[in-house]
Amino acid sequence: MENSQELTALLILPLLGSLLAWAVPKASQRLYALFISAIHFALAIFIASHASLGHGAGLEQNLPWLSDLGVQLQLRMDSVSVWFILLSAFISFVVLGLKGTWYRRNTQLFTSLSFFLIFALNTAFLSTNLIVFYLAYEAVFIPMILMVGIWGSNAKAASVFRFFLMSFFGSILMLVSIFYLSYLHFVKTGSFSTNLSDLVVLTTDPNISLSWCFLGFFLAFAIKVPMFPFHGWLKEVYVNAPTPATIWMSSILSKLGIFGFIRFISPLFMSSLIEFQGVLLALAAFSVIYAAFLAIQAKNPKALLAYSSISHLGFVMLGVFSLSEAGKASAIILSVSHGLTSAVLFYLLELVEERQEGISLDRYSGLAKSYPLLFTCLFIGVLASLSLPGTFNFVGEFLVLLHAYPVSALCTILSGLGVIFGSVYMLKFYQRLGFGTAEVEVVKDIAGFDLVVVVLILSMVVYFGFQPAIFMGGMN
Amino acid sequence: MFDSLSVLGPWIFLGLGILLTMLVSSIRIETKIPAKMVTLATLALVMISSAHLFSQDTKTVVNGLLEVSPLTSMVLFFMSGISFLFVVGSSGYLNKEKLHFSDYYNLVLLLVLGASVLVSAKDLFVMFLSLELMSLPAYALVGFRRNDSRSNEAALKYFILGGALGAVFLLGTSFIFGASGSTQLGQIFEWSKGYNGELLLFVVGHLLILFAFLFKVAAAPFHFWKPDVYEGAPVSVTGLMATVITSAAFVVLVRLFNLVDFHSSGFTQYLDSLKQLIRIVAVMSLIGGSTILILQKNLKRMLAYSSINHTGYLLLGLLGTLGHPEQIYSIWFYLAGYSVITCGLFLMLSQSETANDQGLELVDLTGIMKRNPFFAVVSSIFFFSMSGMPFTVGFFTKYTVFMSSISAGEVTLVILAAICTVVAAYGYLRPIALMVMRDPDPTAANFVGTRANQTVIVLLALLCLFLGVFPQALIQMTKGLELIP
Repeated sequence: MENSQELTALLILPLLGSLLAWAVPKASQRLYALFISAIHFALAIFIASHASLGHGAGLEQNLPWLSDLGVQLQLRMDSVSVWFILLSAFISFVVLGLKGTWYRRNTQLFTSLSFFLIFALNTAFLSTNLIVFYLAYEAVFIPMILMVGIWGSNAKAASVFRFFLMSFFGSILMLVSIFYLSYLHFVKTGSFSTNLSDLVVLTTDPNISLSWCFLGFFLAFAIKVPMFPFHGWLKEVYVNAPTPATIWMSSILSKLGIFGFIRFISPLFMSSLIEFQGVLLALAAFSVIYAAFLAIQAKNPKALLAYSSISHLGFVMLGVFSLSEAGKASAIILSVSHGLTSAVLFYLLELVEERQEGISLDRYSGLAKSYPLLFTCLFIGVLASLSLPGTFNFVGEFLVLLHAYPVSALCTILSGLGVIFGSVYMLKFYQRLGFGTAEVEVVKDIAGFDLVVVVLILSMVVYFGFQPAIFMGGMN
Repeated sequence: MFDSLSVLGPWIFLGLGILLTMLVSSIRIETKIPAKMVTLATLALVMISSAHLFSQDTKTVVNGLLEVSPLTSMVLFFMSGISFLFVVGSSGYLNKEKLHFSDYYNLVLLLVLGASVLVSAKDLFVMFLSLELMSLPAYALVGFRRNDSRSNEAALKYFILGGALGAVFLLGTSFIFGASGSTQLGQIFEWSKGYNGELLLFVVGHLLILFAFLFKVAAAPFHFWKPDVYEGAPVSVTGLMATVITSAAFVVLVRLFNLVDFHSSGFTQYLDSLKQLIRIVAVMSLIGGSTILILQKNLKRMLAYSSINHTGYLLLGLLGTLGHPEQIYSIWFYLAGYSVITCGLFLMLSQSETANDQGLELVDLTGIMKRNPFFAVVSSIFFFSMSGMPFTVGFFTKYTVFMSSISAGEVTLVILAAICTVVAAYGYLRPIALMVMRDPDPTAANFVGTRANQTVIVLLALLCLFLGVFPQALIQMTKGLELIP
């Protein structure tokens, strides 16, 4: 581990961006947001390239904060967090380019909240102190709730409440578990600590049972991902949220849960994970199938994508619960690929809905003829989402299934069926939107910034589909 | 002689201020500006003189009846600071409600004097006297809106209950005197050290005085007076009650809990049953406060139930300190943080433009974000802080309390408290959702504050956020405050 001062830059830059947004005139907010997020992405790449120099060792930084309470600002960028940081920086750049009501109404608030969200996400992905992680994990809610509340549609209040309460319920139990761990550390060593590196000591003690703490952590992350049966909040929020918030939630926030499983649960509660592995694998496999069925029946295209997200995340969880290092590494790969594909699909759906209001999957909208370029992009996105060989998702799902098979053949085969259902609903999605002979008032096809971004993501998805080697570092 | 004068400094200033405001109001009751100035100067002097005493050693003065310690000076500093902010921030409200008379300030100073003597009291009789000294101006302030029947009802209710509690407290004192032969806290503590005999008389007396103060801090099931009084009293008075009176009463409650030496063998069994009692009261306050909180339609009633819920957390912290005196800072920290939030929130409510606080229903907040973004943003900070969201002081207050009670082994109770936090969070999210997510209702009340009021509120909101990121300094300060038996 190399001690480095750079990691704080990843926290300071978005925080500054959030504050300075209020000084920028409304008309140039989008430019400002794009500019800062581009710098942020470049900074993330720069630091990440440093981090991998030490051959998987990564960077570390310790800052004193709240030492009275046993809390330290301990940041670490290693082969796990680096992918999540990069993904989040890239997706944030993409999201901030998307035009919509949020750049017309309360614009400064939107930009400010966005950068605060990026700050919280970076803190969560970097911190190895449980309390700091918890703080960041909770702080993510604030901009999310406000975004859904201010720029969302229809029944937003009810969906926000459900989202907030379910997530808060999970995370407050996690907080209690953290306190308990800290207390156990106090009993064992005489000092309170919430650093992951200190708490790992507890797991070696056979006299300490941590199953209840495991449950607290598990609930928090399972709700966040979400996994069946904790997915109740997801559909309404995804549908009602403004598209930037939806993209953030499906691409990044869900990964926060997965990251939590890999970063915190597996080192701290390995014995509990082994104990409950069967149940967890079954839940993951069931998530895949169940969400796929929900997606097939969905009427609202956004709801369909939301359910497809749960289904794909079920695969990721399958990889995590295989509990092997290779399984976790493939879960990370699938996380990244899902982050990219779901972002591009929601992005394109927003472009489609901008052009044609009130789309329902009950009927054929026949938009492909009018917007050939947009629907070509959407088609590639759909193919990537149903894991066509040659796309990034395929690599991820294949690896996950490969590593899960030796652990539980049954769950793997069941999840494998999910791939087939995946093609059913994704093709239905494309067919209902694109095909048919409805009369459409043609506006403008996809162009400009949107086209560049979409093509960029799609080419990444295809490129990594053929060249996944860069992500395989953790597999060896 | 001069040494003890400097120790008594804050009280002397308060007494002079009270006399001066009385003088001013006897000349003409409408002369409010000089009275206000005198009050502000008095409170500022009290703050300065009590800040001088922070670093001094603990002393007992007036024949051992009063204690001057870092704890009492800090609490006094804090109470006078909060009252200062209330006086600065609420004159616009008083003008609007046509309550702006010089007596108001006289009563506020009396209340602060009573509260500060109460915190310092080392003798049960002094405690009783100062309790009355604090409560009498409070009754008058609650009923200050003379022509409003709800205000009168609240004052009467508060007065009758308060009188009865005073009697209960005195009865308890006499029992304790009978058992231990003294009313001085120090001597009772000494008595308990070697005592190994019959406890019934003492236990009855102890429980009676505890009940009196559990009523005062409105722990469930002794809470029923609070929503009515909160609703009836003028907003600025409700705010004072929620901060100054609650803090003083809780400090005394902590003192009374530690009345005897629980390390002495004769009291171990009693300690267990006492813990059980607090557990029950804490659970009832937590569950009752949070569930009834989310059903409220009136903002002041909602804040009353919120304060009952917060009492539950405080009792949880108290449970953590029994036998672990080093954890006691969590209570002081909680009181300080809670007072900052509550002060800000009540000053926000005092901006309502309707008369007699009619417009303080939750629905009146609908769509405020579009009409008055300042109000929406700042009160969201306070509501978030109430619910314990990170980056506000409310998070760390809960943090320290949970931490201290987990250290005392109260894991189940903390889990329950955590669930209650989620329930209460729903209640605090409701006003935020109404403010931010709905379109404004043109007939709803508007909220407009004076310049002074807004300045104070912004200061408090910033303090709330600052302590949410850097609580270190305040925690360090509160860690130095020991409770000396």
